[in-house]
Amino acid sequence: MEPILKVENLTKRYAKRNSARTPQEFLALDSVSFAVSAGATLAIVGESGSGKSTLASCIACLEPPTAGNFWFEGRNLAQSAESELRKIRPQIQLIFPDSASALSPRWSILDIAVEPLVLQGKLGRKERNARTFFLLERVGLAADMAERPAAELSGGQRQRLAIARALTLDPKILILDEALSALDCSVQAQIANVLLELQASRGMTFLFITHDLTMAAHLADEIAVMSRGRIVEQGPSTKIVRNPDHDATRQLLAAVPRLPRSPWPAAQP
Amino acid sequence: MTRRRKIVFWLFVLGGLHGIVLCAGFFAPYDPVEQDRINPYLPPMHLHIVDAEKHLHLRPFVYASRLRPGTFDQYVEDIRQTRPLKFFVAGAPYRLFGFLPARLHLFGDGKERIYLLGTDAFGRDQLSRLLFGGQISLFSGLLGAGFTLSIGWCIGAAAGYYGGWRDDMLMRLVELFLALPWLYLLFAVRAFLPLTVNPLKAFFLIIAVIAAVGWARPARLVRGIVLSAKERDFVRAARGFGASSFYILRRHILPETSSVLLTQAAILIPQYVLAEMTLSFLGLGVPEPVPSWGNLLSNLQQYSVLVSYWWMYLPALVMAPFFLGYLGLASALQESSDAYKIEKRSLGSLA
Ligand SMILES: Nc1ncnc2c1ncn2[C@@H]1O[C@H](COP(=O)(O)OP(=O)(O)OP(=O)(O)O)[C@@H](O)[C@H]1O
Ligand SMILES: [Mg+2]
Repeated sequence: MEPILKVENLTKRYAKRNSARTPQEFLALDSVSFAVSAGATLAIVGESGSGKSTLASCIACLEPPTAGNFWFEGRNLAQSAESELRKIRPQIQLIFPDSASALSPRWSILDIAVEPLVLQGKLGRKERNARTFFLLERVGLAADMAERPAAELSGGQRQRLAIARALTLDPKILILDEALSALDCSVQAQIANVLLELQASRGMTFLFITHDLTMAAHLADEIAVMSRGRIVEQGPSTKIVRNPDHDATRQLLAAVPRLPRSPWPAAQP
Repeated sequence: MTRRRKIVFWLFVLGGLHGIVLCAGFFAPYDPVEQDRINPYLPPMHLHIVDAEKHLHLRPFVYASRLRPGTFDQYVEDIRQTRPLKFFVAGAPYRLFGFLPARLHLFGDGKERIYLLGTDAFGRDQLSRLLFGGQISLFSGLLGAGFTLSIGWCIGAAAGYYGGWRDDMLMRLVELFLALPWLYLLFAVRAFLPLTVNPLKAFFLIIAVIAAVGWARPARLVRGIVLSAKERDFVRAARGFGASSFYILRRHILPETSSVLLTQAAILIPQYVLAEMTLSFLGLGVPEPVPSWGNLLSNLQQYSVLVSYWWMYLPALVMAPFFLGYLGLASALQESSDAYKIEKRSLGSLA
């Protein structure tokens, strides 16, 4: 199948600010290449600081890459102008790892959840609210909480709100950066079900970022393992988990506590 | 007192003080430019309720003043002539809030004049001049702070949000303006204008000068906040929904800076009132006969006034409660700001 997202030699350097006299650069992404076909799920795993969030920001067009190209539906976004990116961004949604800072604390839950649709400006007020309430309910947030400020929500509720908010835009690619890590198992399963349903009905593509290899294996068809800004190993989930090639992968596998029974829905064949 | 209560308290105090000045026409018994040449430098008249014959009066009254025999600038109370205060009387016409024509005054006494705070060299009522002068001084402080903060916000937000060379350029400009000797700059600006400018022009000149030199400091503060706010995830998320820079600045970044803007306003307004007073004191501000606190005080430049007529100092004294109000509000607002919380927490961890 034609890949919806193709990444080639994506590189991101950050200027290190610690020593003023010898300006050093830090290579957060080092020639990353991969491709995802529409409707698939790619998990990106790696230890802390391996560049997963940086990769997510670049693909969501929130951070310009230093070098390399990536194509979304055949369009090279690394070379696109800001005015074009503004139109593309709603189709590639990113869920941030820290839900507390991803929601403006002073806004009400409804205001936060409808913000993307208000910005789109396509729907009328009634349709906007209807769609938003529908999605809030899907992720398990009761409609009667809508007027409360986001600061009153629990961590898990906040993360569900962030996911519902991104889903109102019906994005083609949804990037979940450690988005389920803070949730308890039953909520994780509930959200995962919602996401898998959406994938089945709308052909949504997921980039699933985590440091938990077993969870990645359950949710994704394919896994890319990152270490120090590079993709060191990539392949079908079962292969990566059963038969890892790279030390970084083995370390990640060793770090995962084994659960007797999996709470997540089984991966699709 | 909780923080919220403190803020409400100070707002109440300031509201009352400004209300009095705003309704100067009502509280002032006379027209501030009306002269009474036979009564120059008349000292404040005292309010009495018991007269010389120990009779109690229900209505407060003052005694007329007359020259002490043999002198020509010393007055004594003339106990044969009482002037009772009449409340809510019609008097000199004025415009309430600058546009509503009215004649009603809080007190007065038809023909005979009552000078509760004395008169100046031309026999003008000091109380009336003080109240009307407050309108000019406070309004220039408020307007000056408004302009300063608007300019400062726009420049600071642009520098912080767009970053890169724009940031570098704007911050160098800020440093340049912080280094300017603004008083002498003002002299230079003033030198370009004709000798006599009309009061309105002079008023806007003061505000323009205040705003032109004052924007740099708030701009720097705002820039710092914007710099950290634009990296917050909810701002990045909004960008991800296709938001424009303008939308993000207005909906997400402006609210983040609002507490700093409010605190700055409470600090800057009294500073700018003082700036107006300094300029008018030096004769660079609103010209006579229009009163302002600064040009009322400029009478003190004459040594004879300085040593003889204490009531000419009153504008400086009247300013104090306003300043106290603004400083109280500023510290109540500051208590709520994050910087203060962090400071408190770090102090707590040291203890
Ligand atoms: N804005 C930035 N400026 C400088 N360095 C950065 C910046 N953002 C990230 N880095 C560096 O890039 C590296 C990769 O960071 P990144 O956040 O992508 O890691 P990660 O894989 O998401 O880690 P984690 O699992 O802990 O979230 C880190 O070493 C980090 O210090
Ligand atoms: Mg991360």
